[in-house]
Amino acid sequence: MSVSLKDPVRQAGQARRTGGAAAASGRRPLRLSPVLLLLPALALMAGVFAYPLAEAMWRSVAYPAPGPQNYQWFAADAGNWAVLGRTLWVALLSAAICLVLAYPYAYFMVISGPKLRAALMVIVLIPFWTSLMIRSFAWIILLQDNGLVNGLLAVLGLGPFELIRNTTGVLVGMVQVLLPFMVLPLYASMNNVDLRLMQASSSLGARPFVSFTRIFMPLAMPGVVSGSLLVFIQALGFYITPALLGSPAEMMISQYIYMQVNGQLQWGRGSVLGVILLVATLALLGLLALLMKKSKRAAGDEGGLL
Amino acid sequence: MSASTRRRAKVLPVGIAATAALLLSACGGGAGGAAPAEVDLGSGPAQAGTVKAGALEGVNMTFASYGGIYQDGQMAAAITPFAEESGARVLSDGPMEYAKIQAQVESNNVTWDVVDTDSNWAAGQCGKLLQKLDYSIIDKSNIPEGLASDCYVPAMQYATVMVYNTEKYSDAPTTWKDFFDTKKYPGKRAIQGNDAGAGIFEGALIADGVAPEDLYPLDIDRALAKLDTIKDSLVYWSTGAQAQQMLEAKEADMAVVWSGRAFGAVENGAPFEPAWDTGVVVMDVLAVPTNAKNPKASMALINYYLGKEQQEKLTEETSYSPVHLEAKPEVNENGRKFLITEPEIAEKVIVSDFAWWGENYADVLEKYTAWVS
Repeated sequence: MSVSLKDPVRQAGQARRTGGAAAASGRRPLRLSPVLLLLPALALMAGVFAYPLAEAMWRSVAYPAPGPQNYQWFAADAGNWAVLGRTLWVALLSAAICLVLAYPYAYFMVISGPKLRAALMVIVLIPFWTSLMIRSFAWIILLQDNGLVNGLLAVLGLGPFELIRNTTGVLVGMVQVLLPFMVLPLYASMNNVDLRLMQASSSLGARPFVSFTRIFMPLAMPGVVSGSLLVFIQALGFYITPALLGSPAEMMISQYIYMQVNGQLQWGRGSVLGVILLVATLALLGLLALLMKKSKRAAGDEGGLL
Repeated sequence: MSASTRRRAKVLPVGIAATAALLLSACGGGAGGAAPAEVDLGSGPAQAGTVKAGALEGVNMTFASYGGIYQDGQMAAAITPFAEESGARVLSDGPMEYAKIQAQVESNNVTWDVVDTDSNWAAGQCGKLLQKLDYSIIDKSNIPEGLASDCYVPAMQYATVMVYNTEKYSDAPTTWKDFFDTKKYPGKRAIQGNDAGAGIFEGALIADGVAPEDLYPLDIDRALAKLDTIKDSLVYWSTGAQAQQMLEAKEADMAVVWSGRAFGAVENGAPFEPAWDTGVVVMDVLAVPTNAKNPKASMALINYYLGKEQQEKLTEETSYSPVHLEAKPEVNENGRKFLITEPEIAEKVIVSDFAWWGENYADVLEKYTAWVS
């Protein structure tokens, strides 16, 4: 925080800021080190995140006896891989479906007037404020074999389809819960795009489709990435929705961890499942970061050629 | 961890102290006051359903069970009256979870004084996570033969029983053979998917030709092979509430469920009938975790719970069957259909082999989990 005395501009800025704050409060400004401000959050993270994580890692190699037996158990049983694969797949599908649904919605929000935009925002947020339990039970009533959806389909001469107690039900429930996490980053990112750029491109002869795909979509890309990551990572850890709308026959990893720890008191195995999920997620994120770096570099090269 | 957090909290600003307090309260989980030095439960032989008035004045206790109407019934029938008579303050907590008992016992911070749990699990934990009961304080003379053991007494009896939709089948499926006959009785069958217990395995073996008296030791692999033949028609429930909901929504045409939940569904108008030839008697048990703070008080509560009046009231409130030989609960017509202590039902059902299940529960659960998922 040392400010060079030879830097008059920054000095002036500093003086203006502190002076303004002091004038506003009428007291001397608090001289808290910024690091100190972080401490409550850090203490909380250490207590509720780092410590349990370390404990889980330790248990995965130390419960019920020291050794790699829990990892061997995981590797040897094809059922374990199936649960992990299903979890990653369902999370990926949730992110993809959310993206497909949220993209046009967020775009529509950006191009609509302020009143309609506010209404669209509320529509996104209402389910967000409703209890997860209530939403899940509502889906059970809608999707069950004799439910509303199958009733409507029957009128059209279709069905009945099995819409809950399987992965379909889980996906429907999860997409609804996670949609705001896709819409909001997308909207934020799209809102930053200067729409005049698209006018400019069409004035240069680009058709609407071309200016959308070549101008708008790349500029909105950060929202796509952050929204997809948010949805994907949250989906990996979902418990209540799969427990209510899914089936023990098509378990996701959180349910499996719960069964290992709580049903069989296999803390070591439960911990292994958690650690492996974490490692798999980090590996996927690393891969994604690498790909993005590469594509950026590729884009940069292309730009250089032009 | 909590010790170091506490030390830091003294030197750092208020925000951190608040955070630490939050953490501590999250970890501590209400560790009541220190145990009183002595509890005088009076002299003379124990008598079920009684406690010396005011004997536990100032004692804090926690009773953990499975929630819902069952725990409400337990509170109304036994726990609250026990608190009033003995002077103890008894909190109701739940849901009972094995991992929570283990965590409490291993951290030597046992906050549950009496737990309502599954008999199979309890049988396997005697002397480990559960302590031996003191039968000088608990009067077990009126408990039906074979239901009490060193570490537990029955909390109530019920059955895992097959029920069927009366609107769907004109020719009622009444046996385990029918349950496994998807040609004659097409339709969805709901069974428990997240846990293993007596009922479906016995049923699969009987349907496969094993005589009821030769069931134990259960051949689980053979039972699972038999279940394979109807796997396409199976749906799974994970909680009692879910099972009941499946019946009420007629999502399943047949189901193997806990009798209390079937009763609940029928009371709410679901068109289902029990097939008692398929009934397998099981029970919930009361047990005391190892290192419980005040074992004498725990025993006194269990003794009170086992009284005739308490058992009658419990049945009237919950539809689960009493575990007192002389209990004569007053229940409605639907209730009687599900009471396994009714003579015409009692002669049809099989009583599960609690000892075998206690020894083998963990293995069966592991196999079953692998089979389901």
